[in-house]
Amino acid sequence: MTTDNKDPRLADESKLQEIWRRVEEVAADAPHLAKIALEAMIRKHNPDLKGSARSAGRAGKQSGNVSELTAIATLKPGGAERLRRIFDLTAGNMDGAQRVSTLHDMRFVFFDDDTRILFATAYDGDWDAYINDFATKIPELMDLLFANVEGWPGIDSPKVKDFIADHQIDAAGWFVANPQVTVVDVRRFQRMEKALNAFLDAEAANMGIDPTTKAALGQLTDAISKPEGVDY
Amino acid sequence: MSVLANLKARFSRERVKLQLDDIQALILRSRPEPYVGLHAMLHVDEAEGGRDLVRRLAPHIPAADDWTDDMDAWTGVAISHAGLKALGVPEASLKSFPLPFQQGMAARAEQLRDFGENAPDRWEDAFRPGTCHIAVTIYARDEAALEKAIEVAMTELEASHGVTLVGTHSFGADADAKNPFGFRDSISQPTVAGGGVDPRGDERAIAAGEFILGENSETGAPVAMPEPAPLGRNGSFVVLRKYQSAVGAFNDFIRANADSEADQEKLAAKMFGRWRSGAPLILAPDRDDEALGADRSRNNDFNFAEDPKGLVCPHSAHMRRLNPRDSQLTILTDVNIHRIIRRSSTFGPKWTPDVTAADDAKDDRGIFFIFISARAYDTIEFLQQEWINRGNFIDLGTERDPIVALHEEPGTFTIPQEQARRRVNGVTTFNRLMGGEYLFMPSLTALRWIGEAGWR
Repeated sequence: MTTDNKDPRLADESKLQEIWRRVEEVAADAPHLAKIALEAMIRKHNPDLKGSARSAGRAGKQSGNVSELTAIATLKPGGAERLRRIFDLTAGNMDGAQRVSTLHDMRFVFFDDDTRILFATAYDGDWDAYINDFATKIPELMDLLFANVEGWPGIDSPKVKDFIADHQIDAAGWFVANPQVTVVDVRRFQRMEKALNAFLDAEAANMGIDPTTKAALGQLTDAISKPEGVDY
Repeated sequence: MSVLANLKARFSRERVKLQLDDIQALILRSRPEPYVGLHAMLHVDEAEGGRDLVRRLAPHIPAADDWTDDMDAWTGVAISHAGLKALGVPEASLKSFPLPFQQGMAARAEQLRDFGENAPDRWEDAFRPGTCHIAVTIYARDEAALEKAIEVAMTELEASHGVTLVGTHSFGADADAKNPFGFRDSISQPTVAGGGVDPRGDERAIAAGEFILGENSETGAPVAMPEPAPLGRNGSFVVLRKYQSAVGAFNDFIRANADSEADQEKLAAKMFGRWRSGAPLILAPDRDDEALGADRSRNNDFNFAEDPKGLVCPHSAHMRRLNPRDSQLTILTDVNIHRIIRRSSTFGPKWTPDVTAADDAKDDRGIFFIFISARAYDTIEFLQQEWINRGNFIDLGTERDPIVALHEEPGTFTIPQEQARRRVNGVTTFNRLMGGEYLFMPSLTALRWIGEAGWR
């Protein structure tokens, strides 16, 4: 019997059942796992795409610039209903959350008959760094959302960090497509693409172009003209 | 060498792995050029009368054995989910069909991106949900043969009761088989594995289950099939979409964005991916090549590996989008599960360059976009979402197909060039959707099963 596993169903297994289960698991997974491990070993990774699995500070994991926060908490009676009304009003588009500029996404999931909430987010940077800023920049939004959670001390409470950390569960598995890219980067890329398109529109029909510019343009066009699969 | 003679020469009975004698001929049989034809749409008012008609029609639906041999005329039958219901097919069978087919095309507008001017509330009456029950299509080598086949079908219809003929539509193609925009069409057809004809050149045969229910698909297992087996086995699905072609608006767009006649022809070819003759840009980069376009052994014998930047055939060209072949795409894609057997037909006056947008309102030109696949409903929804109304898969963001996409706002068409890509703005909806439906094309066994109420 294993000791590092908390699944209570495993306690009821007989020794023979356990052996069979382990043999089957390993046999079924082996070819695929071996392939993943081999690929990871032989592949030369582009540093732009490099992730990691280090800690995001006090709680949660971090991959490149991106961190995850997953928390489960008990809702106050009627809390789910009040939150639903807020989400419906904003149609999922939260202006305060946009202003934070580090949030890739947030999700709120109610379960156990609306008595509990799962909150999960991916954000840029470390855990502690911005909690203080949220407390001063968007306190109303934070309190509006989390006041429906049992025990929420208030965003301006000195205990708020302990409260969040106590409810947080580290992700066992987590995958980030663009670990080096922040929300701010994406916005810059979008601005750059618009500007680049305007520039290329002007240059596409430019016949009186000097050789240096022509060569530079050719290089630029070359770098962006082949569709590429997304490499991780 | 004509396409039919060519297939015939390559057909070998020993290589047949499919139950050809149970599969409708229309699925595999290529059309001669020229050909003529008729679509008829029927509505079943009363189940027993409807079944009686299906039973009467069944003996006139040829099977696919000898599908490479010449035939004067052949008729195919397909039935919508509403049609199967109206014919009294039991609930358990109706529910065993894939969800999109059960819902019907109009209800799938969200998934099909049929919004705005393409939305179902603006479709022709014949395509209002629940109207189209049975679609009968006849193809023939000439008018005389077509007349004969129509008479056979009409005699059975007149002898039946409880069925309304909603409408008929005649069509035809001359030896050039050109679409309303003056381009040769329906060139690229997949080779169905086990059909008895081996693929040519670099092409490989596509697993039969992509087209015939019950056979193994590209995944190695059959795709979803309705129950019981006599209903589902050897059948297939059909997508029918009727488009009104804004040929004048297209002509105007070409004139507005290119000066000389040669440049205009080139811009149009860049948008389609082929020249008017059917010659692909990849094999004829600079000008049209009539002989190449007409040569079935050469006009589809190419791929895109040597044009990774799209300098010869733009990534966004209609033909390259809808069959990227070996192009590098940004997203994991299996091009072999999105192949279709094309059976589109064209209607309206022949294309001329002097048609302008002002003529579009008074001329009735268009295309019945029809294709067959065992996962036709999934394929069209994939095509509409990913390859037609988006550009993400070819690194072009929100750019859409320049020919068949919906353009709620004027769109852009990107032409890769050495110095800097050219973007042509002002692309509008050159093909407007007038209606459509998901249809099931039963095997001959299934037609008899339905006609004789085999569930009883």
